[in-house]
Amino acid sequence: MPVDESTFFRTVPELAAGLRDGSFTSVELTGAYLDRAEELDVPPFELPSEPREDHQGKLATMVTIARDHALEAAERADRELAAGNPRSILHGLPYGVKDLLDTRGVRTTWGSGIFRDRIPNRNATVVDLLEEAGAVLMAKNSLGEFAGGNTSSALNPWKLDRTSFGSSSGTVSAAVAGLIGFGIGTETGGSIVFPASAVGASGLRPTFGRVSRFGCMALSWSLDKIGPVGRSAEDCGHVLQVIAGRDPRDTSTAETPFVFRADPGAMRGKRLGVHRPEFLLSRSETTQRVFQEALDVFAAVGVEIEDIELPLFPTGALFGTIVTVESGTNFKSLFDDGRAAAMFSFNEDRRAGWMAGRMLPAADYLTAQRIRNQLVRETDEIVSRYDAVIAPTWPNGAALRVVRNGWPVPARNEWEPPDDVSGATPRLNYIANLVGLPGLAVPCGFDEDGLPLSLQIVGSPMDDQAVLDFGMTFQRETDWHRRRPPYPWRE
Amino acid sequence: MMRRREFAALAAGSAAAALWQQACAEVEETGALSAETVGTLLDHQGPRGIYEDPAELERLRRAVENMIGVQRTLREFPLDPDEPPLTIFRRG
Repeated sequence: MPVDESTFFRTVPELAAGLRDGSFTSVELTGAYLDRAEELDVPPFELPSEPREDHQGKLATMVTIARDHALEAAERADRELAAGNPRSILHGLPYGVKDLLDTRGVRTTWGSGIFRDRIPNRNATVVDLLEEAGAVLMAKNSLGEFAGGNTSSALNPWKLDRTSFGSSSGTVSAAVAGLIGFGIGTETGGSIVFPASAVGASGLRPTFGRVSRFGCMALSWSLDKIGPVGRSAEDCGHVLQVIAGRDPRDTSTAETPFVFRADPGAMRGKRLGVHRPEFLLSRSETTQRVFQEALDVFAAVGVEIEDIELPLFPTGALFGTIVTVESGTNFKSLFDDGRAAAMFSFNEDRRAGWMAGRMLPAADYLTAQRIRNQLVRETDEIVSRYDAVIAPTWPNGAALRVVRNGWPVPARNEWEPPDDVSGATPRLNYIANLVGLPGLAVPCGFDEDGLPLSLQIVGSPMDDQAVLDFGMTFQRETDWHRRRPPYPWRE
Repeated sequence: MMRRREFAALAAGSAAAALWQQACAEVEETGALSAETVGTLLDHQGPRGIYEDPAELERLRRAVENMIGVQRTLREFPLDPDEPPLTIFRRG
């Protein structure tokens, strides 16, 4: 059998090697992933959907499985590979993309019933770049409606009663469950790294401006990022190399080239700043120990570790203001023509927030962006003293996923909120998002319930390679990223 | 010379900003925001649409009240007077 169970969990370089050495063709690999997705993922209800509890054990990580499209692309890849014309390491590999990015001829719903039948006639730039690299689009991954936080239909393959967080939860859960070769997520305030933490995936939020957002639904023009998700930090690096670059259709994109280097080199003498308060937020001794042991891994390879302080800013107020004003402005037409009324019921308060954002005077929005500029300068100065800074991606393992009358009930904060003005935890994450810094989530162990824990490694602007170097080093010394959720999935 | 349509748009914007200040003062003085004030703010946005529904209007009232509280936090932040807004955002 050319494709067996273990194949589904291979990393990008391992899958590419399998295609290269003739272990399987792209059609065989893609067909096997499609069969697996259709068997394990499709719930007994239509997607996109409000969060539900009647999954009957199916993960619901995919709004659309693009079988015909995928097999056609895989056949093309096989022909080109057989002719000795590999386009990239991703050539022939099946991937899933968050259903926020336009895909020509394949419906793109933004996770909302309002756009259930929306079929774009163009690709997002990222999808075009992956197509040029020969990657095989096989699925549109589920998400919270309009990229709304912790409201996705996707279940957590490590334990079905736990949240997979959001909003890129479909992409990360599919990667960890071995349903796709790699994935593409988006992040405004934590939507790649938080779900990656909940399910034990490796997920990269690139520097703001690294990756074009053209063709992706805008939640916040000044905060949105698109990034790779996979089963290793190295996977993320290979995918970023393909999707990074200047795009005149997204004026935020930078000229600075990104050329991925898969060898992290020697780490001795590199400096890692540790935001210690976040390591102590969890009330679980096991969780605190796991995080400390993860730091010890870096120390053991010669990394110099030093505690840091982050600037105290009202990050929650800043983030909330910028997102609601920009979203409210962007989604104005939904209110004007009344479609907003058809948003899922749990989003009633969110749409009210968007309308409130539209009412805010410009002076207040500009004040928020002035404070943000001050935060950028102060944070850049601190982060520039180190090769990277680090904190737990989320203080605990995934909380219970509770749905009541169609509403996702917010998870209880099982940690001690810090007594400061930040207004948003985890602090490093929100600051890094406001400042546009790259951040990589890597799994680093399990809590007492067997749920993944994760570290977020943050670097200076445009130094995405540095966070990947720390991630790849950690994954050479540990095997947490190799762990698979047991099947049948735990209830 | 400003055209009449441009002036009308400017006047509406100024009026909306003044109304927002009035709403801030109402929250400051009474600790809450009235549905009437939210309705007036809303009317400067165009047709009421889904906010004809009292339940939706109540959600919006709470959201605006919350937004006013958030803005108080930001307005009180000790901002460097030389700081420009981050309106063109590029990192490299």
